[in-house]
Amino acid sequence: MRLDDVRIPDEDAAEDRAWHVARAAYESRAPAPHARRVPVRALVLAGAILAVAAAAASPPGRAVLSSVRKAIGEEHAARALTRLPTGGRLIVESSSGPWLVSEDGSKRLLGDFVDAAWSPHGLYVVATQADAVAAVDPGGRVRWSLARPSVRFARWGGSRTDTRIAYLARRRLRVVAGDGTGDRPACGSPTAAAVAPTWRPGPVHLLAYADAHGRISVVDTDTCSVSWRSSPIAGLRSLEWSDDGRRLLAVSRSGLTLFGVAAAHPLSVRPLARVAAAAFDPRSHRIGIVRGREVLLLDGDHLGRRPRRVFAGAGGFSDLAWSPDGRWLLVAWAGADQWLFLRPDGGGRVRAVGSIAEQFGGGRFPKLGGWCCPAQ
Amino acid sequence: MAGSGRHERSRLRAARAGSVSDFEALFRAYWPRAHRAAYLVVHDSAAAEDIAQEAFLAAIRALDRFDRSRPFGPWLHRIVVNRAIDWARARALRAEAELDERPAPDARPELDDPTLAALARLSPEHRAVIVLRHLLEYTPGEIAELLDLPRGTVNSRLRRGLDELARSVER
Repeated sequence: MRLDDVRIPDEDAAEDRAWHVARAAYESRAPAPHARRVPVRALVLAGAILAVAAAAASPPGRAVLSSVRKAIGEEHAARALTRLPTGGRLIVESSSGPWLVSEDGSKRLLGDFVDAAWSPHGLYVVATQADAVAAVDPGGRVRWSLARPSVRFARWGGSRTDTRIAYLARRRLRVVAGDGTGDRPACGSPTAAAVAPTWRPGPVHLLAYADAHGRISVVDTDTCSVSWRSSPIAGLRSLEWSDDGRRLLAVSRSGLTLFGVAAAHPLSVRPLARVAAAAFDPRSHRIGIVRGREVLLLDGDHLGRRPRRVFAGAGGFSDLAWSPDGRWLLVAWAGADQWLFLRPDGGGRVRAVGSIAEQFGGGRFPKLGGWCCPAQ
Repeated sequence: MAGSGRHERSRLRAARAGSVSDFEALFRAYWPRAHRAAYLVVHDSAAAEDIAQEAFLAAIRALDRFDRSRPFGPWLHRIVVNRAIDWARARALRAEAELDERPAPDARPELDDPTLAALARLSPEHRAVIVLRHLLEYTPGEIAELLDLPRGTVNSRLRRGLDELARSVER
C-alpha cells in the first residue's frame, strides 16, 4: 500500500494557499510586542499618507490611477456604448426592465421584468416580475413562466444538462428545474434574508443562501443534506462563489467574509466599511471591490494583505462586473452617470462611457446584472 | 511521524510565544500528511484543502490552551480525519444526483490512480482507518483512541478494508 504516492491535484499550490491563510490567522493571534503609545490621529494620518503613496507607486496602480479624480466623471467619456471591450454579453437592470448588451454594443430590452440573471452557460436568462418567475432566451422569447407571489432573486445553476433555479417567493426559498418543472419549497422552505442565493459551479446542486437570522447555509437541494451553516452575519448584502467553487464570498455592511467548501468557520474575514459591491475575478480568487470613492483589488487567498487601489474618484461608485475573461473590470459610477472599463492588471487607458441612464431608457441609474459568456 | 519529541515541544512553546518561523516549521512538517489524509478520505482536492486548512486554524485557536504534554500530530489528525469522514458521508448522500448527468470532462478526474479508485469504493469509515494505519502509521490502539472506537472495531475495519482493496486492485 503506497498512499504516499497518490498524487493530489494542485498539491503545492494548496500548501502555499493554506500557509498564507494559516499565517494570517496565526499573526492575528500572536502576542503583540510592547510598544509606546502613539496618538491615534498621527496613526490615521500616517496610514492615509502611506496608502496613497502605495497606490500611486505600484506599477499597475500607476497605469490606471493617473490621479485621484477631483471632478466627478472622466473628462473624455464616450457619449454612447458602441461595443464592449472584450467578448461576452451584459445584463443591465434599468427602471424599464433588464437589457441585454451584446459585444457590438447592441441592446435589447428583455421585457417587463425586474431582476434578471444568466443561466450557467449563458443560453438563457431567468427573470422575475412581482408575481412570476420566467425563463427567457436572449431573443426575448419567454420559454416558460411560473406564477408565484412576491418573487425575488431568481438565480440559475447546475450543469449543461441538469440545472436548477432558486428564488424567493414571499421570502421563502423555492427551487424549480431549469425546464420549469418540479417547482417546490427548498428543503423545509426556510425563510430567507433579502439576499440572492447562489449556486456552487458544478454538477451537484449545492446552494448557498442566507436565512432570516443572517446565517449562511450551504445545502444540496436534491437531497437536502446541509454541508454547513455559519454563525449569523449582520447586514449581509451578497453571496458569490468563485468560479472554481472553492470559495464563497459574503459581503456585509462590516466587510468581507470568505468561506471554503467544507466548513462553516470562515477562512478569513476582512473588516471593510462602505463596500457597495464585490465580486470574484472569474479566473482566480482575486476580488474586485467598489467602496465609496474607490475601486480596490484584494487577493482572496490573502485577505489580510493591503488592497490595491486601481481607481478613485468623487461622487461614489455603485456596482462592478468582471468581463468573462477577467481582463476588464466594469465599474458603475452612478455619481458621474458613467461606466468605466478598467484594466485591473494595468496597460491601456481607462475607457469611459457617459449618459448611461439615458442609454437605458432614462430613470434611475441602472444596475449591472452580470457579464457572461460569448454568444452561443 | 513528522516533528515528534523534544523538538516538537520546543517549537510549540516558541509558536505559542509568537515565533512565526517555529509556527511555519510546524505547519510545513504536518501539512503534507494532514492534506493527504483528508484527500484520501474525501477524494475531492478542494474539500481536502479546506479540511486540512480548517484543522490548522482550529490548532491556532487552541494554541494557548494546548496540553504541552500531549503530541501535536495525533490531535491534528483526529480533527482532520473526523471532519473528512463527516464531509464524505454528506457527499455520499449527494451521489444520486450525479447519475442523471452526462459524464462531464471534469466529473471525477482525480480517480485515475488505481489505489485511489479502489479506496474510493470503501465507506468513509473504512477509508479513515486505512489512512490512519497506512499513511499516518498509527497503531490500531492509537486509531481506536483517535476515533473513539473499540479496538476490535478498528481491527475488523482494517481487515475488511484491506480485503476489499486487494479484491478491487486484482480485478
